[in-house]
Amino acid sequence: MKIDCSGLACPEPVLQTKKALETLPNDSVLEVIVNSLASKENVTRFAQNGGFDVRVQDLAEGKSLITIVKGFTCNVVADAKDEKFLDKTLFLKSDKVGEGELGAKLIVGFLKSTLELPKLPRRIVCVNQAVLLTTADESAPIMEVLKALEAKGVEIYSCGVCLEFFGVSDKLKVGKIGNAFGTIEMLFGGDGTISL
Amino acid sequence: MNNEAKLTKYVKAAGCAAKLGPGDLTEAIGGLSCTHENVLVGMDTSDDASVYYLDEERALVQTVDIITPVVDDPYVYGQIAAANSLSDVFAMGGEVATAMNIVGFDGCHQPRSVLKAILEGGQSKVVECGGIIIGGHTIEAPEMTYGMSVTGFVHPQKIYRNNTPRIGDVLILTKPLGMGILTTAIKADMLETQVIEKVASILATLNHKASRIMRQYDVSACTDVTGFGLFGHGYEMSFNRVTIAFELKNIPILEEARAMADMGIIPAGAYTNKSYLSSKVQAKVPHKDEIILYDAQTSGGLLIAVSQNDAPKLLHHLQSEGLTYSAIIAEILPLGEKPLFYM
Repeated sequence: MKIDCSGLACPEPVLQTKKALETLPNDSVLEVIVNSLASKENVTRFAQNGGFDVRVQDLAEGKSLITIVKGFTCNVVADAKDEKFLDKTLFLKSDKVGEGELGAKLIVGFLKSTLELPKLPRRIVCVNQAVLLTTADESAPIMEVLKALEAKGVEIYSCGVCLEFFGVSDKLKVGKIGNAFGTIEMLFGGDGTISL
Repeated sequence: MNNEAKLTKYVKAAGCAAKLGPGDLTEAIGGLSCTHENVLVGMDTSDDASVYYLDEERALVQTVDIITPVVDDPYVYGQIAAANSLSDVFAMGGEVATAMNIVGFDGCHQPRSVLKAILEGGQSKVVECGGIIIGGHTIEAPEMTYGMSVTGFVHPQKIYRNNTPRIGDVLILTKPLGMGILTTAIKADMLETQVIEKVASILATLNHKASRIMRQYDVSACTDVTGFGLFGHGYEMSFNRVTIAFELKNIPILEEARAMADMGIIPAGAYTNKSYLSSKVQAKVPHKDEIILYDAQTSGGLLIAVSQNDAPKLLHHLQSEGLTYSAIIAEILPLGEKPLFYM
């Protein structure tokens, strides 16, 4: 189902989305077209807080397409997503693989090679010293790699407590801030976790 | 409440959420100026009221404000619009003398009895603060608007400006945030009557009492929080000369507003404010409530800069006089990376 909410003032796009989602059967997809920042943010916020899987795509002429998947089982959500991801979470606890200078090089090399995989891990979760990767200087080689992964749709989360511990909360340059509950869900919810 | 008139259904945006954004406004009026020896507060600062010197004891305060309906009950809408219009005089530290009604009446959707109820509601609030209504003007309009042109007096030496806080002061806010979100939710029929009544009573509360109380303490600056949201008015207060550090957990936000914001019931005005201000704001850690700090408030509370020494006394005084949402929400620091900071 597709609804066009272009030109409608808040709260109308949210209300129409709500109504459409209520009438749709489970396991169906709703596409909402909007053409203002407020509507885009509001509809996305509404759908995400309702527990739906949401994707936002910017179109021409200031329009955006918001795709909302109505369905609560992992299968449905996974099927509806792009096939370019493995249902795996990469769990990073350090900014190195192993010790020392070699370890720092290895992590860049490993993640860079990951970029070449036909299917990428769904998400990367950084805890402890790994958050120093997502908060590194713009010029650091790791930054280019992480940004490329993010651009390909890999979700990158950095532990909020860890960011605060290292005093780098305001330096996050890539990905989002994660929380303990979200991390646990990612580790146990998917098909697999790979830890370095 | 009498909600039969459905006032909010016939307007595009509710209350101050309908205001022109701060960027647009600065662009439009930035070139205008007024300099005259008797003008104590004019257009060159972002104060919402002007002050004109009369004699050593008195200066004239003038202000005007109109809003679209934020509730469906005409009498209560009148009260809220009046509280909103009168507020600028109180933020300056003045007392209201006279007021004139300004009405754009949507005669196409509303009977005359609605107009009568709106004006009665407005009058009740002017009387409450000791003022009198001495006239007004009404035109037919496609969208209902109501407000007042208000005249008051203030002692020329005791004018509270919005951009003169001292480093080391703290900020007290006297009403909770979230009113733009909640009035948008009212328009969408998403709130229970009980919640609407709570919101309406906050909106209709005059800043008169808060103003009278603050004048007894060591206050360096004051403004009322309206269409540009807490951060918009906070930015004006900082005047790019100091950094205001807000403590998010201390900022009074109505729970109902949080719930509505999570559902995406956020007026476009909040995003307009945010896009104008985001380069001025630094966050310790981004927070999902952030958008509420930009929410356009109708008839918002006073934002008072007070010395740390007097702050607890002033806060206690406000709360004991029934202004229970009052809270210390920020501290004025020397100018840092950005004029606004929140943690």
